[in-house]
Amino acid sequence: MTSPIEIEGAVTSSALDKEGAPQGDAKEPKKLEGRSPGQLMWRRFKRDKTGIISAFVVLFFFLIAALAPVITKLYGKDPYTFYGQDDPTLLNEFNLPAGPNGGMSPEHWFGIDPNYGRDVLAYLLYGMRTSLGTALLATIGMVFIGIVIGLTAGYFGGKIDYWLGRLIDFMLALPNQLFMVAAMPVIVTVFVAPDEETPTIVRFLAITGVMWLLTWMSLARLIRAVTLSLREREFVEAAKVAGASPWRIIRKELLPNLVTPIIVQGTYLLPSTILSVAFLSFVGVGYQDPTPDWGLMFATAANIYEQDPTYMFFPGVAMVVFVVAFNLLGDSVRDAFDPKTGR
Amino acid sequence: MSILRSRTAQATVAAAAVGALALTGCSSGSKDSNKPAGKSQEEAKAQAKPVAMGTAQDSVGPAKPVAGAKKGGTVQVYQEADFSHLDPGQIYVSDAGMLSKLLYRGLTTYTENEKGDQTVVGDLATDPGKSSDGGKTWTFTLKDGIKDQNGHVITSADIRHSIERLYDPFLTDGPTYIQQWLSGAGTKYREAYKGPYKGKHLPKTVLDTPDDKTITFHFLEAHTDVPQALAMAAYSVVPEKTDTKQKYDQSPVATGPYKVASYKSGKSLSLVRNDNWDEKTDPLRHAYVDGWNIEFNHDKADQTKTILADRGDAKNAIMFTGQVDATQLQKITSDKAVMKRTIQGYAPYVWQLNFNMDRVKDKKIRDAISLAMPATSVARADGGAYGGDAATSLMSPTTPGYDAKYDPFNRAKKPNGDIEAAKKLIKEAGAEGKKLVYAYANTPVRTTQANLIINNLEKIGLDIQKKEVDQATWYEQMGKVKNGFDLYMTGWGQDWADGNTVFPPSFDGAQIQDGASNYSHTNDEHVNSELGRIQKIADADQRASEYAKLSKYISEKINPAAPIYYTKVFQIAGSNVGGLRYGQVVSYTDPTTIYLKK
Repeated sequence: MTSPIEIEGAVTSSALDKEGAPQGDAKEPKKLEGRSPGQLMWRRFKRDKTGIISAFVVLFFFLIAALAPVITKLYGKDPYTFYGQDDPTLLNEFNLPAGPNGGMSPEHWFGIDPNYGRDVLAYLLYGMRTSLGTALLATIGMVFIGIVIGLTAGYFGGKIDYWLGRLIDFMLALPNQLFMVAAMPVIVTVFVAPDEETPTIVRFLAITGVMWLLTWMSLARLIRAVTLSLREREFVEAAKVAGASPWRIIRKELLPNLVTPIIVQGTYLLPSTILSVAFLSFVGVGYQDPTPDWGLMFATAANIYEQDPTYMFFPGVAMVVFVVAFNLLGDSVRDAFDPKTGR
Repeated sequence: MSILRSRTAQATVAAAAVGALALTGCSSGSKDSNKPAGKSQEEAKAQAKPVAMGTAQDSVGPAKPVAGAKKGGTVQVYQEADFSHLDPGQIYVSDAGMLSKLLYRGLTTYTENEKGDQTVVGDLATDPGKSSDGGKTWTFTLKDGIKDQNGHVITSADIRHSIERLYDPFLTDGPTYIQQWLSGAGTKYREAYKGPYKGKHLPKTVLDTPDDKTITFHFLEAHTDVPQALAMAAYSVVPEKTDTKQKYDQSPVATGPYKVASYKSGKSLSLVRNDNWDEKTDPLRHAYVDGWNIEFNHDKADQTKTILADRGDAKNAIMFTGQVDATQLQKITSDKAVMKRTIQGYAPYVWQLNFNMDRVKDKKIRDAISLAMPATSVARADGGAYGGDAATSLMSPTTPGYDAKYDPFNRAKKPNGDIEAAKKLIKEAGAEGKKLVYAYANTPVRTTQANLIINNLEKIGLDIQKKEVDQATWYEQMGKVKNGFDLYMTGWGQDWADGNTVFPPSFDGAQIQDGASNYSHTNDEHVNSELGRIQKIADADQRASEYAKLSKYISEKINPAAPIYYTKVFQIAGSNVGGLRYGQVVSYTDPTTIYLKK
């Protein structure tokens, strides 16, 4: 009984991704160990190099964003101080960084920004923190409402499905970004007294709220479609016959089967939400200076890219790397859950 | 005049991160940040000289020729937006003011020599006016042979009509100096007379035309700067027979060297020669070129790049009220050949941070804020060193009486604010953590400036609430007496080189009402009585020194507004344009001396 192991070793040494799958099967008869879909997914995912690298990149971004206060403390700069105002030699007569390459120096590793002379590294870290935080919260909200509405519509069907379907259609018909641009100032005016500054928390809630309201629909539709097909399956029928309550069926029978689309869609939603949040700030309705924000950096950079191209470099590269990594991660996660789809 | 057009760079949309990455490379910086750039204040002195009173001899045409000038060609002008008005009675904004130099003539006008010394001379009149009765009565005599574009000879009836129509309620946007001097301050003059369109004239005791050539103004009080006031575009002649009231705004009748050939509202305006204009009657205008082609909808960046590229029509282009875009400054100022095509000068505007005197009552707080003002960075945020200079006092370098050494808030030594001194004052006032509302217009430049200022004000221990206000309604909202804000920036510039057009509009307590330009609501007995006294002083130099004294009193004893910066003008023209010079009167490129080299 030793030969299969030897054969298996020989196969894996030259194996590609696809041949990897039988490897698990080959082990099974030996240990006779049951694996949950989650474990299977994890094993498949671990073998996808792109996925692992992307996951590390994404993790790195979240880590530095979360640890921004610690990092800037060690680095000795903070994103709110106008270094250019304290030391007028940092900015030239056009209020642009006086030093070469956007004012990069041992003091300011990534240079300083125009007009204010803030430290770009500190600002970028805090900006990422703002953007990622906002986008993460908005995405969680979207996923949650998408699951609730999709499941409700799919499971109960009939009139409930019809009206929720119309609601989804209606929301989809709203022009997304235009609506945000129009709604943001209104929301801000409604919640803030005329002689008080708009607190950043109001902007934060308004941005997450608007994003949440306008982007849950596609996920809800998907969940509804999957639920519809699951509803007719035998195990659900069996649960119904056994007298399980709708709540129990949804929780114990349907939800576990929906984990795959939810996680996959979630990983796609997050990077696009980050871009949308940045877009809002870029067009001037999102966060406002002096709140550090990724989108604001692009707004500034777009104005001065001819004189100070360096300023665009770090936020630009960071954004591209992050969004690409996150999308690749999404692909890998999907492949891992559903190896049949292939690429 | 208040600055109605924002000097803001339009935020350019687009430029995705990926696309821009390709452009990202190494950029060299310039280290010499302390080198003075742009126009120095020395050179603004010419503008600050009181306007000299010309003689009948000065008022005779033709104007002194420009060396090397040639006739012919069409000048191209790129403008950001359409002129809000063509009707001279509605012109108070610089855009249309430039145009009025080409289209219209009034009783008086200014000439200036190479040094920029201004002289007020007769334009339609034979001299800049004769005063009698201690300055209460002014008499003008018209020159012979002045015709409008239809060949109609201008008579004193036309002049009377031009003044009278300004009383009609449909004309709202022009200045009100002459009307108020004739018939009462505030809106009283509107009640006294409703305009000439119903057949009634102003009584002969107010405005008299003894014969076809003579017109006499009888003012309520003595005034010394009547010729300067009459030189404003709004007092240009509107021939009575061809006045079409509201429609006049679309098709005005020209008396100047050019007339409107075609006007496509919001798109373009082209001017051709007015054959009835006789250069022998005109002491100011040259009219070397055959026509003007003015195109609208070119923003600042667009204008700058087009003229900088210097191809095709752009070779013949000048800017009217456009400015070199801040993003192009570095490129232009480092190129000597291009710099030859530019003009620079001081614009008359002073930007100041007004304190709402009804709300910020403690002078120590006002002083502290004035001291903490990061004037240099704020000025640089608006076009770098070529866009403005830190302001030391409320008087512009272009206003007679300006004293460069007078620096009550220590701007010279502490260009970005004296935080320590300000902190001490706030402590003395016991105002740490005091809540103040700072209002700003929501354009990129004003937002940046607001952040710079607030950063310093928070350092000295104030709690600043930032409120953004729509740019389009900015002056309207700030003009309200109960505007609800504590701090707000406004810009004001003289209508002509005299304190009379700066201090009374800005600091006269009697003028406080909705829409008035006393934005800080200054109402001090001493200031009010001094303003009344100084306005009556006949001698311009003495008036200037009195205004300088008053300016010091206002800054030191009341401090209703912190001076921030003086604005500068930096314009570029095409390579084929000759006679390019900075006009002290228009404070932009002088349109009357332009010719084309080829």
